[in-house]
Amino acid sequence: MKSIEELERIKEETLQEIRLRSASGSPRIVVGMGTCGIAAGARDTMLAVLDELRKRKKLDVTVTETGCIGLCSQEPIVTVEIPGEPEVVYGKVDPDKARQIVVSHIINHKPVEEWVINVEEQML
Amino acid sequence: MVDLSLHLLDLLQNSAHAGARTVKVDILESLEHDLLQVKVSDDGKGISSDERERILDPFYTSSDRKHVGLGLPLVAQAAELAGGSLSIEDSELGGACVVVNYKLNHPDRQPLGDIVATFVSFLAGNPDLRVLFTYCGPNGVYHFDTNSIWDDIGEDSRNQLIFLGKVEEELTQGLYSAGYRPDRGGLVL
Repeated sequence: MKSIEELERIKEETLQEIRLRSASGSPRIVVGMGTCGIAAGARDTMLAVLDELRKRKKLDVTVTETGCIGLCSQEPIVTVEIPGEPEVVYGKVDPDKARQIVVSHIINHKPVEEWVINVEEQML
Repeated sequence: MVDLSLHLLDLLQNSAHAGARTVKVDILESLEHDLLQVKVSDDGKGISSDERERILDPFYTSSDRKHVGLGLPLVAQAAELAGGSLSIEDSELGGACVVVNYKLNHPDRQPLGDIVATFVSFLAGNPDLRVLFTYCGPNGVYHFDTNSIWDDIGEDSRNQLIFLGKVEEELTQGLYSAGYRPDRGGLVL
C-alpha cells in the first residue's frame, strides 16, 4: 500500500507528463463527416484541407473526422486544435473557407473570427 | 445526397463508427442484369436482428447524442426510387454487410459520383482502417487494397498526406481503366 504522499507525487508526475505530451503534439484539424456533414459538402471541405496542407508542405498536421455533433445546421463544421491554444470551431466551411482557415489559423496562428461558432450558444 | 458516392461515404462512416478495422467494398455495374450493386461489408460490432427492423426508421438512432438517424433511410430511399432496395446481412468478416441494389438504367438512378474523393476523404479520417475495394465495371475488374499502398510507400516516408496522394493516384488509374465514369446516371442519352 502506497502512502498518500506517494500517490500525490504519482498523480503530479502523470499530469505533468500529459501536459508535456499535449503541448508538444501536432495541430489537428477535425472535419464533421456524419450524414449531415456529408450532405452539406464535408467531403469537398476535407479534400480542400488536405490539398492546401499538401501545397504548403505542412506534413505535421493531423487531419481527422468526427460524426454528427448535434449542430447539423452549421455543417460542414471544422475544428482546429493547436496544442497550447484554445480549440476553435468553425461553421459552414466550404472549400474556399477551409483553405483560408489552413493558411490563417494553422500557418499564421490567426483564427478567422468571422466564421467561428460558439458551440455552447448554438446548443441552447 | 446528390450521388451514390456520397451515400457510400456515409456507409463507410457507419462501418468506422461500428469499430471496424477492415471494410470491404464491392461495386458492380452489370448491363446484362440491369444492376448496379454497392456492397459494404465490415468486421465491426454488427447490427442485431432487433436493430435491423428499426434501422430504416429515420427516428431511430443508436447514438445518444441525437434523435434522428438519417443515413441508412436516405440510402434506402435513393435505392427504392431507382427500382432497387437495401438489405442488411451478416458479413463474412464478422460485422455487418449492407447491400444496395439499383436498376442500372432506371431514369431516377443517381450517378456514381466521385468514388475517388469518397475513399480519399474517408481514409483521411481513418488511416488505420484497411479498405479492400473491388470495382466490376464495363471494361473489367479492378482491385484496390490500402495495405499494398502502405507497402509501396515504405517505412521511412509514412505520412498521411503522402499516403492519401498515392491512394488518389492509384484509384483514379484503376477505376477509369475498368470503365468507371462518375457522371453516368440511369438515363442513357
